[in-house]
Amino acid sequence: MTEERLTFEQAEDELRKIVERLESGDVGIDEAIALWEHGEALYVICRERLDSAEGKVEELAERVQAAKPSA
Amino acid sequence: VPGTTWTYDLGVAKVEAIEHGDRKVFSVAAFNRGLADWVRRLPTVWVEGEISELRRQERWQTVFFTLKDVDSDACVEAALPRRRFDALRLDLANGERVHVYGRAEVWPQKGELRLQVLSIERFGLGAHLAALERLKQKLAAEGLFAAERKRSLPRLPRRVGLVTGNDAAAKRDVIASVTARFPPARLLVAETRVQGPHAAAEIARALQGVAAQPGVDVIVLARGGGSFEDLLPFSDERLVRAVVACPVPVVSAVGHEQDTPLCDLAADVRASTPTAAARLVVPDFAELGEALERRRAALRRGSRAVLDRRRERLERDAERLRRGGRLLLERRRTALEQSAGRLRALSPRATLTRGYAIVRSDSGVVREAAALSTGERVNVELAKGGFAANVDEVRP
Repeated sequence: MTEERLTFEQAEDELRKIVERLESGDVGIDEAIALWEHGEALYVICRERLDSAEGKVEELAERVQAAKPSA
Repeated sequence: VPGTTWTYDLGVAKVEAIEHGDRKVFSVAAFNRGLADWVRRLPTVWVEGEISELRRQERWQTVFFTLKDVDSDACVEAALPRRRFDALRLDLANGERVHVYGRAEVWPQKGELRLQVLSIERFGLGAHLAALERLKQKLAAEGLFAAERKRSLPRLPRRVGLVTGNDAAAKRDVIASVTARFPPARLLVAETRVQGPHAAAEIARALQGVAAQPGVDVIVLARGGGSFEDLLPFSDERLVRAVVACPVPVVSAVGHEQDTPLCDLAADVRASTPTAAARLVVPDFAELGEALERRRAALRRGSRAVLDRRRERLERDAERLRRGGRLLLERRRTALEQSAGRLRALSPRATLTRGYAIVRSDSGVVREAAALSTGERVNVELAKGGFAANVDEVRP
């Protein structure tokens, strides 16, 4: 699957669509089970993205700053 | 007055002269000092002019410039302590028109007159305002501030760009607000000068620089509050155009609520405080997690609901099947009984009641006399009961 390359947003969006599809009720059993499994996989992706994300503050290497007067 | 020394009392200091006959003679230093003391008593005034030959160096204690009239050659040397100059934070450049508050002073060493500066103000705020309004109309006419241009912000940016002044407060506030709301946030910060004649170009360049970095999905342009002049770079046409041309959405968090620099109008969203900016560019981390859990619960509920509905339908079908089976059986039994009735109606017994009899020998129903032999025993069946008989005579 290409799911590893999904962004959090895409995975969450996909998950939402699956839930909506299931809630519409117009789904066969085999499809419902497939959707559920796919949904759970998407949930895991989202969860992992959230849990593994680490905050970081970087400075842009190239200082866009000319000689400035010191106060 | 006895002796050879004269003294002029100039109020502040004494200037001594030497007497040669009837002539009073001053040394150059005494002359300069006298002049300086006298000049010092002149009033402090405002002088309007254009700055030229601005000389400011870190190792100098004093900043020098020449103040000259715009429409004549008249000029005067001006000076002020470097600390005071820097504290004004005007970031002045040659050619700028200013009002200088100061008084005349003579430098005793050289006898040169100069304007000792106490304060400087950029001149022509009204002119600035009018120019700003003209620029605003022009850019608005180009559609740069149009609502259709506004882009929506990403819900979860991979990286948040931050372009901010080296005035630490705005930077610190935005970083603190963003990371408090969304701890895993990845920020890319570019510091620039945010004041003075070069600020606009630098900020614009910083904006482009940050936008060019991979993963930057939104940029916050932040600057704390300041005077009208302080915020002028944020109304500079170059910066406004850079904001419009920025490939990712820009959130402008410049100045205070009441300030509306033009970059605010050009930005995709305007935030009144760093906290508000944070709320716009990153989601609430805890809320996001909860929403995800809710969605998962909905996923399970949804799929269970589908399965439950299917199971119910199956049960209903099975019940109908069972009911249908019973019904079918009954129908068959009735039909069978009808057939049996008809069968009975057609049986020979009905014939017997009309007086016929059935004769049976050991080899079955007797249909012709020739099948019998004399002395053979036969059974005769009547409509009611029967009897056995012996064959006395056969008549084929």
